[in-house]
Order: sequence, then C-alpha cells, then structure tokens
Amino acid sequence: MEINTREKTDIVIFDIEGEIRRSDVTDFTLHQLVKDQLDAGKRNILLNFQNVDFIDSFGVGEILASYISTHNLGGKLKIAKISKKLYLVFQVTMLTKVLEIFDEEEVALDSFNKDQ
Amino acid sequence: MAKNLLNRVLSRFVEIKPGEEVIASLLFLYLFLIMFPYYIIKPYRDAKYLIELTSARLPYAYLLTALFMGFFVHFYTKLQVRIQRRVLIISSVTFFALTCLLSRWLFNLDLSWMPLAFWVWANTFVVVLITQFWILVNDIFNPREVKRLIGFFGSGGLFGGILGGLLTGLLGRDMPDIVLIIASGLLVLSIFVVNHIFIWQRKKSPPDDKVDHKHRERGAEQVKVGFIDCFNTVRKNYYLKLLAGVVTLTFIVSTFIDWQSKTVIDIKIERMDEKLEFFGFFHAALLVIPFFISIFMSSNILKRYGIRVTLLLFPLVLLLCIFGIGYRPEIFVFALAIKAGDKSLSFSINQYVRELLYIPISPELKYKAKVFIDMFLNRFAKGVGALILLFLVYIFLPPENWQWDWRDKVQLVSIIAVIFIGAWLLLNLKVSKEYTNIVKQKLDVKWDRGDRLVAEKMDVDYTKLVFDTIESRERSSVLYAMHLYDLIKQDKLTPEVRKLISYKADERRVASLGGLFESGETTLIPETDDMLGEEVLEKEVQEIMSLDVYQEVMKGYIDKVLVDKTNETKTSKMEVAKAIGLMESDSPLAQKLEELLEDESPEVSKYAIESAARLKRRELVPGLIYKLDNPLTREDASAALEKYGERIVGTLSDYLGDYDEDVGLRKEVASVLARIPIQDSADLLAWELAEENEDMDNELIDALDRIRSGQPDIQVQAEIIKTKIFKEIKRYYQILINSYETKSEVKRPEMSGKLSEDLAASMMNIFKLLGLIYPHEDIFRAYQNIRTATKDSIDYAVELLDNILPKDIRDVIFPLIEDLSLEERVKKCRVLFKAFPKMQ
Repeated sequence: MEINTREKTDIVIFDIEGEIRRSDVTDFTLHQLVKDQLDAGKRNILLNFQNVDFIDSFGVGEILASYISTHNLGGKLKIAKISKKLYLVFQVTMLTKVLEIFDEEEVALDSFNKDQ
Repeated sequence: MAKNLLNRVLSRFVEIKPGEEVIASLLFLYLFLIMFPYYIIKPYRDAKYLIELTSARLPYAYLLTALFMGFFVHFYTKLQVRIQRRVLIISSVTFFALTCLLSRWLFNLDLSWMPLAFWVWANTFVVVLITQFWILVNDIFNPREVKRLIGFFGSGGLFGGILGGLLTGLLGRDMPDIVLIIASGLLVLSIFVVNHIFIWQRKKSPPDDKVDHKHRERGAEQVKVGFIDCFNTVRKNYYLKLLAGVVTLTFIVSTFIDWQSKTVIDIKIERMDEKLEFFGFFHAALLVIPFFISIFMSSNILKRYGIRVTLLLFPLVLLLCIFGIGYRPEIFVFALAIKAGDKSLSFSINQYVRELLYIPISPELKYKAKVFIDMFLNRFAKGVGALILLFLVYIFLPPENWQWDWRDKVQLVSIIAVIFIGAWLLLNLKVSKEYTNIVKQKLDVKWDRGDRLVAEKMDVDYTKLVFDTIESRERSSVLYAMHLYDLIKQDKLTPEVRKLISYKADERRVASLGGLFESGETTLIPETDDMLGEEVLEKEVQEIMSLDVYQEVMKGYIDKVLVDKTNETKTSKMEVAKAIGLMESDSPLAQKLEELLEDESPEVSKYAIESAARLKRRELVPGLIYKLDNPLTREDASAALEKYGERIVGTLSDYLGDYDEDVGLRKEVASVLARIPIQDSADLLAWELAEENEDMDNELIDALDRIRSGQPDIQVQAEIIKTKIFKEIKRYYQILINSYETKSEVKRPEMSGKLSEDLAASMMNIFKLLGLIYPHEDIFRAYQNIRTATKDSIDYAVELLDNILPKDIRDVIFPLIEDLSLEERVKKCRVLFKAFPKMQ
C-alpha cells in the first residue's frame, strides 16, 4: 500500500494505492498519517480510494480510528471514489451510516466547504 | 480621537470595549433623564398622599395601581401593535411630560381624588419608561455585554434619582409647585436622547451583525401582540413562570416594606412641607447607596459570585432588616434601614440580575414576557400585597380593637413578610438553575464524539468479521468456513451477507446492491441450509471440539504447525489461531495462544488476539498488552483487552505505572483503560496524572475525557484535576506570552503556526480537564462554541461557564476565552501568570 498526501483549500487528501491490509502496511499506518495531519491543525481529511482494490478488517479499523480521531476534534473525514464492490460491502456492514462517501473528488471537496 | 478620549474616560468606571462608548453613554443618559424626573415626582407623590389621605389608606393606592395597570397594559399592548417601538417610546415620554404639567395644574384645584390619581399616574410613569428602557438594552446587548455594562447604565439612573431627590429636598419647603415643571422639562430632553439611540442602532450596527440586527427588529415587530398572548407566553414557559413568581414575591414583600416604613414615617413626621423635604432628601440618600453599588460593585459582584449568589443577596438583606423592624418598630432608624435596604438593592443588584435573567430568552418571548411581568405583574403583585395588608390591618387586627396599635401591625406584617421571603429564596434558587439550562439551549452542539457515533450506528465487530470472511475466501477454505461458522453463530449470516461474500473477488461491474443480489452468484458459499440447520451446525461443531480425542489429535497438529518457523505455515497458524477461539475457554489447547500471539506475522497474531478475546484467559493478558505496541495489532489487542473488562484493570494499571515500560506502550494502556469505563479505571488514570509525567499527560487526559463523556456519573478526583487545570492554564499563558514576545521582536502580524497549534492543544486539554470535574456535556458544549462559533455564541458559552465553574477557575480561564484583543489578553495573562504561585 502506498499513500501520497496533497492539499486543496485546507483539505488534506490522501491518495491511497493498493490494498489496505495488515500484510501490506509498510512504515506508517493510515491512522498515524491522519493523526499527524490533525496534530498539524488540519481538520478536513479526504481519503481518495480510486486505486484501492480491497481492504481487510485492519483497514476497516484504520479508517474508523481515523474517523474517530478527526471527528473528536471537530473535523471531518470523508471518502471519495470508492469501488462499487467495496461500497457494497460498506453498505452491508453499515459503514455508510457513519462515513460520508462520494463518487467524485470534486463533489467531496465541495461538501467540506458546505459544512463550514 | 474623541472616541478614544471617551473610551479612556469611561474605562475608569466600566469595562468598556471599543465601539461601545457612544451607545453606552446614550443609554446612561437616557436612564438618567428618566430617573431624575421620577425622583422629583416620587417624593411629591408620597408627601401629598400621606398628608391628604394618610398611611392608613396606602393599601388602597397599591390596590388601585394594580387594577389600573391591568387595564393599562391591555391598552398598551394594543397600542404597541400599531406603533413602531421608536414612536411608542417617544410618544410615551411626551405623554408623561405633558401629563406631569397637567398634574401640577390639577393639584392647584384641590381635588380630593388627586393624590390617589397622581399615585397611580406616577407608578404608571415609572413602569412604562423603565420597561421600555430595559427592552432597548436587551435588544442591543448580549448577556456578557450586559453583565459588564449594566452597572454603568444603572448608575446613570441612580445618579439622576439622587439629583432629583436632592432638588426636591431643596425646593420642597419653599417652592414645592415648581418641581413638577422641572420634571416635565427633563422628560422633554430625554426624547432627544432616545432618538439618538435609535439612530445609532440603525447606523452603527457592525456589517456582520446586520442580519442579526434585522432579525431582532423583525422579531420585535412580530411580537407586537396583545395582553392575553403575553400572559399565555408566560403561562406556557416554565422559566418565565419561575421568573414571574420571583417578581410577584419581590413586589409583595416590597409592598409590605413600603407600608411598614411609611407607617413609621407618617407618625414621626407630620407636616406636608416637612414630609416633602424629608422624602426628597430621603429618596436621594436612598439612591446614593445603590449608585455606588452600581458603579463600583454590581458588575464585580455579578462576576465574582455569579447569578445564583447575587439573586439571594437581596432577599437575605431584607430578611435581616425585617427582623430589625419586627423587633423594635418604634425605632425610626429601623424604618429607614428597611426602606433603604429595599430600594438600594432593588434599584441596583436586583434590577440588574432580573434583566440578566431575561437575556437568554429569545427576543419574541422576551418582549411578551417583559410586557406582562414588568408592566403588569409587578403592579399586580403590589395589589396582592395590598390585599394581604388590608386583610391583616383591617380584618385580622381591626382598628377599632384598642389592644392593637401600629406597632403590633408592623410586627405582624414582618412575620408574614418572613414567610414570603422564604418562598422567594426558594424560587430564586430554582430560577438560577433554570437560567443555566436556558443559556445551555443557546449553544448548539457542533459535533458529537466520533467513537460514540460509531458505537451508536454500527457494529464494528460484525463489520470486521464480514471483511475477514471475504478476505479469507481467497486464502483458505478452512478459514473461510470458520468465518461462516462465526457469522452463523452470531446469527449474522443474513441473505445480504450471503450474497455479498459469495460475490466473486474480481467482479467489478455490479451496478447496484440489488443487482448483485439478483446475480445468482452463490457457488462459493456452502449451502448450509440444505445440509444442516444453523443451530444443529453450531451444536455439532461444539460437540466435536469438546471431544477429548479431538483435543488430543489437534494438539499434535498444532504442535507440528508451531514448530515450523517457515512462512509456508502462516495460513495454517492463522487457521489454528482462529480454531482455538471457537473452543471452550478451559480447553488445554488454549495455552497454545500464548505462542501464537508472539508470532512474528501480524496476521497470525490478529487471529490469536481475537481468540484470546473470546476465551478471556488471564495468562494471555500480558501477551495482549505487548501487542499494543505494534500499530498492526494495536486496535485488535485494544479491542480484545476491552472485552476482558474490569477484571484486568489492575493488571493494566501495573503496566500504566511501570516506568521501565516503553512510554508508547503505557500510552496505549491508558487508552485501553478508557475503553473500560468504570470508577477504578478513572481513579488509576487520575493517580497516574498526578505523577507529573508530562510525556503521558495528553493520553491520560484524553482517556479520562473518554470515560467521563460516556459515563458522566464517574467521579474523577477533583484535587488532582484542579491542580492539573491550573498547570495547564499556566502553560497556556506561557505559550501565549512567548509567542507574543517573539512576534513583537520580528514584527510579524500573525503568530506562527506551531505556537497556534500548541495553544489549541493546550486549550483542548484545559477543557477536557474541566469536563472531568464539572458537567461534562456543558463543558464540551461550551468548548465547541468557543472554538467554532460567532461572538454571541462565545458570549453564551462564557456565560454558561460563568454559572458552572468556581471563581478561582473562572478568574484564570476567562482571560483566555473572552472576546479580547491579543494585546489585552497577553496583558491580563502576564498579570495572572505572576500571581500563579499564590493561586496554587
């Protein structure tokens, strides 16, 4: 798994590539990267899942931990461009009840602005 | 320049902020010009009445005023529907100025009913103009602003009252008739001031406040309603009912006191000119005390003791005075003291607190409530007081009965007054409690805790199980089967999940969940329904696993798998780790989990952790705790330890307090304790916080905060937390001062990002700590509004904190959160920083 970070109008975007699995983690976990951004005062986080094929339960834990950390500080964590297959699993497991998921990155970015 | 000068002058008397100088001065002057004539009229009213109708007939005056006010308010509410507020106020002042002149002429005609009519007129005058004044103040300022400025406005009125009283005292003996002409002239002057206030309101509202201002005006327009609607508004609102109750009791007691003092004065001073002179000077003197209270003490008293204590002050002082006059009615000083106590505090502290109590109410409700309570109810209460007096003085102790003289009557009224003051004190306590609730309602919850949202909206264990099931399908049919068995066991193998997990891994083109379920792709899931019922399956598996022979055979297999250190057996180890979790807790094979927990593969460890959480064997706890150190197994280990529950809190505390352990691990242990929200966890975390190990502070505070947010009933040791609060505030001061000095040196207008982050983190810790020993939800709400909201929301948040925090904490935290410029904030922090060693 590889994670690249970029920023657009005060929104931190994580472009994730590969699978968020326990076996694929290298130096940093997703949650650690999110926490680093929160420590730096950022409050809006977007996870770009365009190149994420699948995640395991570790990945779910990482996303939820990131969501909780962000939310507890009054921030927002959202997901964009998730695969249909993954979205279906998210729906069945009710992750969609908690996480805001968008088809397009631009729409997701707009939604942050509307929240302000 | 002129404004700066005005600011400098006013700053000596009142905590005034830039932009407030003009409106504060205008309001000061407006109240001055209402109270000056009123304190000319009032002694005239009293003297005329006592001379011509005597104090024995005072209850009739109170009663008639109450009845008249009922009709008048009905008329007034109808009038205000048709007329704009500005026109209404100016018309009211003009009306009273003209009728004041008319009164002077009517008095010359020696009409017997005139003293009574003038009494009613004078009471109507003060009720109408004072109510209009405070409605205006309520429209312009929020509670925090009023708390700062109320003493200043009030002192304008008191200053006017003193001058009015003195003038009447000086002119009363020689030129009594001229005083009403002067009063009339002063009222005309106030019209110009009122006009300027409305011009200021229209022109000087800040741009960002324009919407709010428009809303207020619109609100005010919409609330122009009749008397019945005003009454119903109060009747239907619990807080307003309490407020109405307080006002009723205040005025009933005030009527008793007025009657008591005037009865004594009427007996001691006989002639009209002496009476007018006495009342003039007496009223002026009465106002000197509230004037000094207003200008120097009321804001401080309110700030220092808060609304609750301040509300009790007035009735308690009256209680003391009533004991005096009740004990020795013939002592003139007691009669003066009780009247002085009543008027001094009712015109200062009590008036201000009452106005403050109105402020958190919405403009619509406030307007209706003020019309009903301040214009009608207070006079109605005087009427009730008068009826009680009539009953006591003329029925209970009839005048023809020679045994009862005026002293007995004064004493009896004192006894009744004590009962009413008792009820008044109780209602005051209720009002102050409800006031806090009303302020709280003004503050929106900006965000809820993420962990609470997740816990409420989803089942994380189930979600992970579904993902693991899907993932295991690619890896091993054994693991897959065990996951399916898990889902069956938990009754979670719903048709949707069946379809989902049977969906081919490489399928990417399903349009919708419905489409997926219709795809008929079920080949990868065993048809358990056809083979065995789910209950039967569960029973069969449990029976097999508990067979001795199974345990023996599996032991051999597991030993063989564990011996092999190559990566090839990773899947087998995962299967074994998962399988042990399906066995009974007392299975001998459970011991193998210790070794599996230590496996270098996080995937094997993960299954071992899950199984350990199911079996909850004590010897596995240390292994689980060490798994907290690894980010890949941390969340699973934490969840597993949480499932052990309170029985491992002691073990966790050993690790938490072990300084030989890695700090990172100890931080994670604190986080696990937060997931076991019991009193012991809170105590252990608090003790650790008291150990002054700054590396751990953030995590310990966060853990305690999580416990309190979920379980507000859990108590955290206040001494430890209070010390920590002061330390954190001091740290905040230090960062703020340092950053300000750094900024000044390099002439940068903004503080550096790092220092801002440090300040934000420190502020968050301060509020988390406050939430540990004060109402957590209220503190959380206040913090959110201070961090994210508008000026008004910040003011309401500060007001809420003002009512729930003790003075020593308020004093040091308010400079950090109140609306101040950076320079002012740093200046205050510097002073407090130096005083800190004394505070702790």
